[in-house]
Amino acid sequence: MKRMYILGVLMIAVAILLLFNAAEDVSSYATFSEASGTGHVVKIAGALSKDKRMEYNPEKDPNYFSFFISDTHGVEKKVVLQAAKPQDFELSEQIVVTGQMKGDIFLATDLLMKCPSKYKDEEIYIRSEKRG
Amino acid sequence: MESPGIIYTGEHLLLGQIGHFSVLLLWVSSLLSGLSYYLSVRKDAPGWKAMGRGAFISHAIALVAVIGSVFLAMTQKYYEYHYVWTHVSDELPFRYLFAAFWEGQEGSFLLWMFWNAVLGLLLMATARRWESPVLAVFAGVQAILASMILGIYVGWGDAALKIGSSPFQLLRDVMDAPLFQQVDYLELVKGNGLNPLLQNYWMTIHPPTLFLGFSSTLVPFAFAIAGLWIKDYSGWLKSALPWSLFSAGILGTGILMGGAWAYEALSFGGYWAWDPVENMSLVPWLVLIAGIHTHLIARSTQHSLRGTYLFYILQFALVVYSTFLTRSGVLGETSVHAFTEMGLESQLLFFLGAVTLLPGLLFFWRNRNIPSPEKEELVPSREFWMFMGSLVLFFSALLIAGSTSLPVWNKIRQLFDPLYAGKVITEPIAHYNKYQIWIALLIMIMSGAAQFLRFRESKWGAIRKKFFLTTLGQWGISVICFYPINKSLNPQAWQYSLLLFAAIYGFIANLWVLVSIFRLRTRWVSSVLSHSGFAVMIIGILFSGLNKQIISDNPFIMEGLIEGASEESSRRNILLFKETPMRMSSYEVNYYADSLDHYTRTYFLKFVGHDESGRRKDSFTLTPSVIYDKSFKKIAASNPSTHRYIDRDIFTHIASLPQVEMDMELRKQKEDSLKFERLAILPKTTYIHQDHKYLGDKDTLLQRDYSFRIMEVDYQPSHPEYTPEEGDLAIGLRMEVSRSDDKKSREVTPVLVLRENLLYSYPVQINPWSTRIRLPEEILPRLYTFEEDLRYEKVNLKVGESFLINENRIRFDGFVRNPKTPEYQIKEGDLAVGANLLVQGADNQSWRAMPVFLIRNGEPLNVKKEIHTLGLHLRFPLLDPRTEEAEIMYAIAPAKEGPIPVEIATDSFRSDYIVLEALAFPGINLFWGGSCLMLAGLFLGMVLRFNKKRVDAVT
Repeated sequence: MKRMYILGVLMIAVAILLLFNAAEDVSSYATFSEASGTGHVVKIAGALSKDKRMEYNPEKDPNYFSFFISDTHGVEKKVVLQAAKPQDFELSEQIVVTGQMKGDIFLATDLLMKCPSKYKDEEIYIRSEKRG
Repeated sequence: MESPGIIYTGEHLLLGQIGHFSVLLLWVSSLLSGLSYYLSVRKDAPGWKAMGRGAFISHAIALVAVIGSVFLAMTQKYYEYHYVWTHVSDELPFRYLFAAFWEGQEGSFLLWMFWNAVLGLLLMATARRWESPVLAVFAGVQAILASMILGIYVGWGDAALKIGSSPFQLLRDVMDAPLFQQVDYLELVKGNGLNPLLQNYWMTIHPPTLFLGFSSTLVPFAFAIAGLWIKDYSGWLKSALPWSLFSAGILGTGILMGGAWAYEALSFGGYWAWDPVENMSLVPWLVLIAGIHTHLIARSTQHSLRGTYLFYILQFALVVYSTFLTRSGVLGETSVHAFTEMGLESQLLFFLGAVTLLPGLLFFWRNRNIPSPEKEELVPSREFWMFMGSLVLFFSALLIAGSTSLPVWNKIRQLFDPLYAGKVITEPIAHYNKYQIWIALLIMIMSGAAQFLRFRESKWGAIRKKFFLTTLGQWGISVICFYPINKSLNPQAWQYSLLLFAAIYGFIANLWVLVSIFRLRTRWVSSVLSHSGFAVMIIGILFSGLNKQIISDNPFIMEGLIEGASEESSRRNILLFKETPMRMSSYEVNYYADSLDHYTRTYFLKFVGHDESGRRKDSFTLTPSVIYDKSFKKIAASNPSTHRYIDRDIFTHIASLPQVEMDMELRKQKEDSLKFERLAILPKTTYIHQDHKYLGDKDTLLQRDYSFRIMEVDYQPSHPEYTPEEGDLAIGLRMEVSRSDDKKSREVTPVLVLRENLLYSYPVQINPWSTRIRLPEEILPRLYTFEEDLRYEKVNLKVGESFLINENRIRFDGFVRNPKTPEYQIKEGDLAVGANLLVQGADNQSWRAMPVFLIRNGEPLNVKKEIHTLGLHLRFPLLDPRTEEAEIMYAIAPAKEGPIPVEIATDSFRSDYIVLEALAFPGINLFWGGSCLMLAGLFLGMVLRFNKKRVDAVT
C-alpha cells in the first residue's frame, strides 16, 4: 500500500505543477492597449467596424486581408490577417483574433468568427407552385 | 400555432401519434425492464428476470417502431413534422436520408439507443449469470436516453416542465408563421434539407460507427457495476474482456473516421485540431484503454482490480459528460462543431449525475471488500509498469478534459460572479501538443520495455542482466535508425527528436517481441500490433504535422506591406489565373477549366512536378470544388482535392474566389453597372479610342489608347457561349484590338443574335485589360438588311440557264437533293431540295449559293442564301416539277455606309482566377497505417480472447 500512496502524492504534485504551467497558456480576452503593452500573443474579442474599409484584393496579394475591429474598451485598430477573407465575414457578430500588436497594426495568425447560427431554422421556404 | 378550429389538409397525423405512443412505450418498458432486473438481483427470483427480459424485448420493438416511423415520415417527406422539415428537402438524394436521420439531436439519440438495444440483446443471450445486473444497467440507461425524446409536459400552464424533445413535434407547433392560417399550408412548404457540408458519405458512415463506439462503452461499465453489485469482484473479468477490446476498437475507429472526414472534406488542412468535441470523444477512449490495461493485470495477477473498476466507471461517465458538453451548447465559441441548444441541459446533468454518483457510491460502499493481494507489485514487474502506463493514459485524459472544460469552469464561476470575464486558451494547438508529447513519449518507452517484464516476477535477480542487455540492444538499433529519420524530419525543437527516438524504440522493441517471444506467447501478437501501430502513428504525426509544408506560398512576397512581419509567417494562398501556369514549389500548376453541375462548381488543376534539374517528373490533375448555397449568393462549402503519393499527400482547396464568382446576384449587378462607351468604327480604318482611368487617390491619370481595326463581318459567327438555332439572325464582328501598354494585339469577335424578336448579346472579355467589348443593337440595321426592306424580282430558270443582275451572272447548275447548307437545319420529315447556283461577278470573283426549298409538315418553306459582298439575296420559293423549272427570287440590298457601332467598357475586372491553398503532408500514410494497425491489434485481441472463451467453455 505504501507505494500506492507515494505514487498518489507524486501524481498530485505533478498535477499541481502542470496546472501552474498551464495557467500561462490561459488568458482572458485582451484589449489593444494590453496587447501593445505585453508584446505576447493575445486573444482579442471585438466587433467588426463595418464603416471602415475591409481590404482583400487577391489579385494584388491573396494573403493580405485587413479590417478594423473595436475591442471591449472601444479602441479601434486595424487588423491584418495573412490569409484569405473568410466566407460570411461581414455577418459576424463578434470576432476573436489571436496575434500580436506590431506598431499600430494587430497582426493576426488566427481568426474566429461568431456568426448568427447557420443552423437556426428561421425561415420556412415557400414553394412558388403548389406541390401536386 | 394553429388557430382554433382549423382542420388542415394533407397532414398525416396518425404516424406521429403512433410515434408518440411508441416513445412512451419505449420509455415505460425500459423502466419496467430496469426495475424487474433490479428486483431479480435483489430477490434472486426467476420471475422478475423473465419480466425483465420481456420488457427489454418490448422496449427494443418499441424502439424499432419509433425509428421506423421517423424514417417513414422522412422518406415520404411529411413536412408537417418539424424534424422532417428541418433535415429533409425535396432535392435530397435518397442516399443521404440516413445522414438526415441522425443529423439532429433526436435522431442521434435514437441511433445511440438502437446500438444499446442491439448490444443489450446480445448480452441477454450470452451473459448467463451476469445477465440480470448487466441488463439492469442497460435498461436504466435506455430509460434515461428515452426521456430525452419524450416530449411530454409535466405540470400546468407557464410553469409546465418539458421533458425531452420529441421527433414527432409538428412544424406548426414549433414555429409561428402566418402560413399556418392556411388550411392547405402543407402544399406550400419546402423542406430545409441536410446541411450541404454534411451531404457526403462520411455523414452516412461516421455517426453510426462513433455511436456504436459510445454505446459499447456501456458494456464494461455495466459489467463493473454488476461485479460490485453482486459482490463477485473478479468473475466478470473473463467475459468482459473481449467486449472492452471491441469497444476500444470501434470507438477508436469512429474517432479516426472523424479525423479522416476532416482531412478529406474540410478545408482546414489536417486530421486533428484539438477541437473540444474531438477531444471529448478521445478522452473516454484513453480512460477505456487505461481500464483495459488494468483489466489485463487483474486477469493475470490480482492487482489493479480497483483500478479497473474506477477506470471502467469513469470512461462511461466521460462519455455522458462528452455528450453533455456537445449538446448543451456550453462549448459554443470554442468549437467548430456548432450544435443548437435544445433545453436538455438539466436532463443531461441528471444523466451525468446518475452515472457518476450512483456507481461512485456503490464503489465506496464495496471498496473494503474488493480483494487485493497482500504483497505489493514489484517494481520490475509487468503489472507495475502496465499500471504506470494506465496512470499516464489517465493523466493524458485528465489534461485534455480539463483544458477542454474551461468553458464549463467559466460558466460555473459566472454563476457566482456574473462579471467574471471568462478565460480561454490563447493558442490551443500549442497548448495541447506541449503536454501530449510527453505523454506519448512515456507511453512508448513503457510499452517497449514492459513487454520484456513478466507477471508476478519472482526471480528478478536472475533475469535482470538479460533484461538490460536486451533493452540496450534495442536502444542501439533505435539509435542507428534514429539518425537518418531525424535528419529527414528536421524538427525545430529537441522535444520532437526525443519523441521520435521514443517512438522508434517502441517500434523496435515490439518488433523484437514478435521475433523472439512469439512462439511462446502467441496471444501477445495483438498487443505487439497495437503498440507498434501506435509507434508508427506517432512517427506519422511528427512527419505530417511538423513537416506539413505550405507549397502554395507566393515567391514574390509583398515586402514592407506589414511592418515587422517576419518572412516565415504563413502565407498560404496563391492566386491562379485561368490558363496561366504558375510556379509553386516544385510544381507547375495550371488552372485550365471549371464546370458547374447543380450547385457544385469544380475546378480543374493540372500539376506537373519537376525534379531539381527542372525535368518533368510526374503529373496529375486535382479537382477542388465549391458548393453554392441554394440562392447562389455565397459559397456553402469548399471541398478539397488530394493527390496521394506513397510518401506524402498533396492537399489543395479553394480558399477564395472573386466576389462575382461567389455571388451570382452581385455578378449580375456588376455586369449591369459596367460603363460602356460607344465607338463608331469605319471599315478599312484604324480607330483610336482614348481611355482615361484615375488611379489610387485620384491624383494620377492613366491614359491608354485602344486601336480597333475591323477585319470582317461574320454572318455565321461562333462564340463559346452561343449555340446557333434555326431562324437566328446572327452577326459577329471580327476585330483586331490593341492597347498602347500591351505589345500583343488580340483578335476578338463579339456576337449579337436576334431570335424571335429578342436580342442576345455575346460580348468578349479581354481579361488582362479588364476590357469588355460588345455589339449594340444599332449594329443590326447597319450590317443587316431586313426582309421588309428588300424588293425581290422573280425569274424562272431551267437547269443550265442563267441571268444577269447588274454585272453579275447567275447560273442555275441543278437541283440538289438533301441539301446541306449552314443556313438550313434539317428536321425529320422535311422534304428539301436546293438550287445550286453559281454567281460570277466582276473581276472573275465567283460564289456558290444554294437557296433551299422545303416542305415541312405539309407547308412550303424556303431558306434564303445571301452573298454579303454583293448584297445579293437569293430565294428558291417554288419548283415546277412538270417543266423542271425553278423559280428564283433575287434582291439587291441597298448599300450601307458609315461607321459601325461598337461598345467598350474598361472597368470589367477580370474574374477568371481562384485563390488556392496547397499543402504537402509528408508521411501521412504512416499516420493512417499506424492507427489502423493499432485498431487492428485491438480487434485481433478481441477475436483471440473470444475464441479462447469458446474453447475454454467447450473443453
